[in-house]
Amino acid sequence: MGTPASTYELTRRAAVGAMAAAAAGYAILGPRGTQEIPRGRVVLDYWEKWTRHEGDAMERVVSDFNKSQDRIFVRYLVVSDIGQKSLVSIAGSRPPDIIGLYAFNVPPYAEMGAIIPMDELAPRAGVRMENYAPGVREVMRYKGGWWAMVNTAGSIALYYNRAAFRDAGLDPDRPPRTIAELDAAHARLLRTDSRGALERVGFLHREPGWWSWLWAYHFGGRIFDEASGRALLDSPENIRAMEWMQGYARDLGLDRIKIFAESFGNYFTPENPFLTGKVGMIVQGPWIANLINAFKPDLDYGVAPFPTVHGEAGSSPVGLIDTDVLVIPRGAKHPEAAMEFIAFTQRQDMTERLATAHCKPSPLTSVSAEFLAGHPNRGIGVHYDILRSDRAFVPPRTRVWQQFKDEFDSVVQRMWRLEVPAAEALPRLQVRVQSLIDQAADQQFRRHGGADPAPGGAA
Amino acid sequence: MSVPGQATHSRRSTEQRAARRQVLIGLTWVSPWLFGAGLFVFAPMAMSLYYSFTDYPLLEPPLWSGLDNYKRMFSDPTFLRVVWNTTAYAAVSIPLFTIVALILAGVLAKTGRMSSFYRACVFIPTLVPLIASAMVWMWLFNGEYGLINKLLAMISIRGPAWIVDRNWVLPSMVIMSVWGVGQGVVIYVAAMQDVPKQLYEAARIDGMGTVRQFIHVTLPMISPAILFNVIALTIAAVQVFAVPSVMFRRPDGQNPAGHYYTMYLYENAFVYGNMGYASAMAWMQLLVVLLLTALLLFAGRRLVHYARV
Amino acid sequence: MSNASPKPGARSRLKGVYFHIAMLLVSLVFLAPLVWMLSTSVKPEDQAASGEIHLLPTPPSSVFAQAADNYSAVWNDRTIRFPLYLRNTLIVAILGVVGMTLSSAVVAYGLSRVQWRGRGVVFFLVLATMMIPFPVLMVPLYIIFRELGWTGTLKPLWVPAWFGNAFNIFLLRQFFMTIPPQLDEAARLDCCSHWSIFWRIILPLAKPALAVVALFHFIYVWNDFVGPLIFLTDRDQFTLALGLQLYQSQSGNTPWNLLMAASALMISPLVVLFMLTQRTFVQSASTEGLK
Repeated sequence: MGTPASTYELTRRAAVGAMAAAAAGYAILGPRGTQEIPRGRVVLDYWEKWTRHEGDAMERVVSDFNKSQDRIFVRYLVVSDIGQKSLVSIAGSRPPDIIGLYAFNVPPYAEMGAIIPMDELAPRAGVRMENYAPGVREVMRYKGGWWAMVNTAGSIALYYNRAAFRDAGLDPDRPPRTIAELDAAHARLLRTDSRGALERVGFLHREPGWWSWLWAYHFGGRIFDEASGRALLDSPENIRAMEWMQGYARDLGLDRIKIFAESFGNYFTPENPFLTGKVGMIVQGPWIANLINAFKPDLDYGVAPFPTVHGEAGSSPVGLIDTDVLVIPRGAKHPEAAMEFIAFTQRQDMTERLATAHCKPSPLTSVSAEFLAGHPNRGIGVHYDILRSDRAFVPPRTRVWQQFKDEFDSVVQRMWRLEVPAAEALPRLQVRVQSLIDQAADQQFRRHGGADPAPGGAA
Repeated sequence: MSVPGQATHSRRSTEQRAARRQVLIGLTWVSPWLFGAGLFVFAPMAMSLYYSFTDYPLLEPPLWSGLDNYKRMFSDPTFLRVVWNTTAYAAVSIPLFTIVALILAGVLAKTGRMSSFYRACVFIPTLVPLIASAMVWMWLFNGEYGLINKLLAMISIRGPAWIVDRNWVLPSMVIMSVWGVGQGVVIYVAAMQDVPKQLYEAARIDGMGTVRQFIHVTLPMISPAILFNVIALTIAAVQVFAVPSVMFRRPDGQNPAGHYYTMYLYENAFVYGNMGYASAMAWMQLLVVLLLTALLLFAGRRLVHYARV
Repeated sequence: MSNASPKPGARSRLKGVYFHIAMLLVSLVFLAPLVWMLSTSVKPEDQAASGEIHLLPTPPSSVFAQAADNYSAVWNDRTIRFPLYLRNTLIVAILGVVGMTLSSAVVAYGLSRVQWRGRGVVFFLVLATMMIPFPVLMVPLYIIFRELGWTGTLKPLWVPAWFGNAFNIFLLRQFFMTIPPQLDEAARLDCCSHWSIFWRIILPLAKPALAVVALFHFIYVWNDFVGPLIFLTDRDQFTLALGLQLYQSQSGNTPWNLLMAASALMISPLVVLFMLTQRTFVQSASTEGLK
C-alpha cells in the first residue's frame, strides 16, 4: 500500500499503463462496423443462416442484385441461432428488412404478428403462387394468408450405397420400395467382424437422426392434423412406425450400436458413416451430394424415394419437404424494397443458381433442362419428384412446433434406447403435446377471438 | 429566557436535524446504487413476478393467466428433468470443488516462487471465457478423437463417449467445474495466509501433525471464507448455462442429461415464446436460491467461527 | 498450512521432491487443455480435426507458417470480424471499468465513512441483491432496454456498471472499514467536505482494492457471454465472447484450428494482464475473505 520499492514494480505498472492506453486508443480509433454503402440508396439488412459455401452462393445473388439497380443496397449478414435472434430483434423494434428462416417458423411468426403478409406485395413485384411446385406452395401459405417466400427447397429421400448393395448381393438398380424390402436389404447389408461387433449396417434411424418424426408418414399416418389442430401421435400408424424403429435397436443390440456409433465421424467430415460405407442406407436431403463430391467423389450412390409400408408401384413418392423461406418482419422500414429484392431472388436463373450451389432441387414449377442435367446430385430428379408429389408432406404447421419437436425428439431417444415401449410412450406424449397445442390455441383465442392471423395487419 | 425545558428541547431538535442531515448525506452517497438497483434489479424483479402470472409471447401484450404457469411446471416432464439435472450437478460439483480447492490451497499456501508458480498454473484456466473452455473441452471429450480417450487408450482403457453418453454428462460437467478451481484456491490461500502463526505453534506443541493442524486450526479459522464461497458457488451452480448450451445441443436433439434449468428457461423465453412461463421458472429459481442461502447461513451459524481479531 | 521452516534431513528433502513432482503434474493437468488449444491453433484444418496426438503440425517446421496463416485468417475473416469485436469489447470494458470502480467506491464510502441511520438497512439490501439469479432479471431487462431505446447498442452492457454492483460495493466497503476513522475526523475538523475526503484521502489509500475491482470487472466483461447474447442483435456490435461462438457451426463443420486460434487470441491479453498483476489477485482474495 505504500510506495513501490523496486524498478520491477515500476516496470509492471508501466506495462499495465501502456496496455490501458493502447486499449483506450484502440477503442476510440478501432475499426467500425459499416461497410462502404453507396450513397443515396435505401439500405436493407438481410439476415441469413447460411455460412461457408452456401452463404457464399447467396452472397453472390445479393451482390448481383446490388449491381442490377441503383436504388437499393442489400447487406448480407450471417446470423447464428436465427430463430431466436429474429424474435428478439422484432420484439426490440429493430428488425432487419429480410430474414431467412425455416419453414416451420412461419406458423408461429404469422400468429404472433411478427411478419408482414405478402398477399399484395408479392404480385405487385411480379411473383405469383403458380410459379411454385404444389408442395412448396403449402409452405408459403398459412391459414389463408401468404406469409413467406421459399428461398431454397429440399426434400428428404433414401440414399443408398450401390457398391455395398452389389457387395451384399442386392441389385443396385432396384432400391427398396417397401419397408419390408428395406428391412431385407438391411439384413443383407449387415456385416459383423469375428467377435460379433458391427462393421456395417443397412440402415440406422438415428443416422443422422435429424428428423426423428418422419417415420409415421411412411407408414401411412401423420403426426398432426392442421384442420382440427390435433396431434396424432398415438395413431396406430405412428405406433407401428416407432415399434419398427425399436425393432432395429433390439435386433442390433444397443451395446453394439453404441460402440459402432462412436466410430462415426461428424456429418461434415470425411468420416461421415455413409461416406465410409458403415451405414449402407440413410435418409438425407440433397445437400449430401456436396459432401460426397468434396470428400468421396468415387462413392457410387443411388437416390430413391424413401420406402413406404405398402410401396404401391407407380404411385407418387412420399417424402418430407424441408425448405428455407424469406420473410419480411413487422417493423421493417421498406417492405416494398424488400419485396423487390425477394422477387429478384425468385427469378428462375437466380433460383437455379442458388439451388445448384446448395445442391438442392428448384422450388419452381418451371425448371430448365440445363439445371437438371448439370446438377451435382445425380439423384436430383428424385428430389424434384418429391417436391411435386401430392403425397409429400411438410413439418406440422402449428405454433408450438419447436417445442413439439423437442419433446418428440426426447421421447424418440428414449424409445430408441428401448427404455419404454412405443405403445406406452406415444399416448403419454400425445397428451403432453396436445396440451401444449391446446394452450397455444386457447391463448390465441383469448387474444384474437378465433380470427385467423389476418393478412393486411397483424393484431 | 432561560427556561430549562426549552433549552433541552432545542438541543434535541438540533440533534434530530443533524441526524436527518446525515441521513440525507448518506443517501446521496448511495444514490447511484439505489437508482441503479431500482431500475435494473428491483423493477425487473417486479416485472418478472407479474409476467409469471401471465402468458406473454413478447411480441404481443401479456395476458393474465393466474397460477397457470406455476401449475404447469409440476406436470412438465422437461421441467422436472432439468430440475433433477441441475440439482445433481450442484450436489456433486459444489462439495468436490470446495474440497479440491481447500486441499490445493492448503498445499500451496506457503509463500515462495514455486508456490506462486503453481498457483498461477492452477488459476490461469479461470481466465478463459466459458465459451472457449466449453469448445476446447468439447473436443477433448470427443469419444473417438478426443485427447482424453486417446490417452486412456494408451493405458488400454476404453474411454466413454463423454458428452454423448447420458451417464457421462455429469462427470464431464464436474470435471469442467473442477478445472476452474483456481479461483477458489486463490481465495483460500489468501485466507490461510492470514491465520496467525501462533496458533500453529500451539498446535504443534500439542502434538498435532500437519493434517490435524489443517483440520483443527486452518479450517475453522477460514470458515467464514468457506461459507461465503459455498454460497457463491451455489448461486452459480443453480444458474449454469453457457457451458452446457455449447456442449450438449446437437442437430439430432438435446442431450437430455445435459439439459439444465437456465437453458430451459432461456428456451422458453426466446425460442418457444413462453416468456410468462420462463418468468415463473425464474422466480422459482430465486426462491430456491434464497432457501439454500438461508440454510447455508443457518448451518454457518453453528459451524463457522468468526475470529475476533 | 503453516509456514513451518523445513527440518533439515534427507527425508524431508525427499518429501519436498515428491511434492514438487506432484505439483508439476497437477499444473500440467490444469494447463494441458490450454497447451492443446495452442497446439491445435497452429495446425492446418485437417490435422486439427484428426485427433492424433501431435503437439506440432506435421511437418514440424511448418509451425510458424501455419500459425501465421491461422492467426491472420482469424484476424482478417470477413464474416467473423475479430478486430471489430475486439473494439466493441474494449469499449464496453473501459467504460464499464471506469464506471464500476467510481460508482462502487462512492457507494461504499457512503456505507462506511458516513454515519447515518438506515445505513445498515441499505447495506443489507445491497447484500441481498447479490443472491438474485440473473434469469429473473433477464427478460424484463430486455424489455426495459427496449423501452429505453438501447437495444441495438452497446449501452445495456456498460451503463448499468455506472451504478455500482453489490459485490464490488461490498468489497470496497470492507476495505474502507479498515482505514482508521481518525483520518477523516482530522480532515473534517480542518476543513474538508466528504467529497474532498473521499477524493483526496480515501481513494489514494484504497488503490489496491480499486485495482482489484477494476481488474475483476475487466475480466468479467471480457468473458461475458450471456449479456451480449441477449442484448446484442446487430452483428457489428458483437463482443469477442459472442464472436467466438460464431465459429461453432450448426452443421458440425467447425474449423477447429481457427476456433482455437481465435480463443488463444482472446485469452492472451488476460493472461498477460494476470502476469503483470499477480500480486493484486492474491491481495484481492485477502480483502474478500471475510474476517
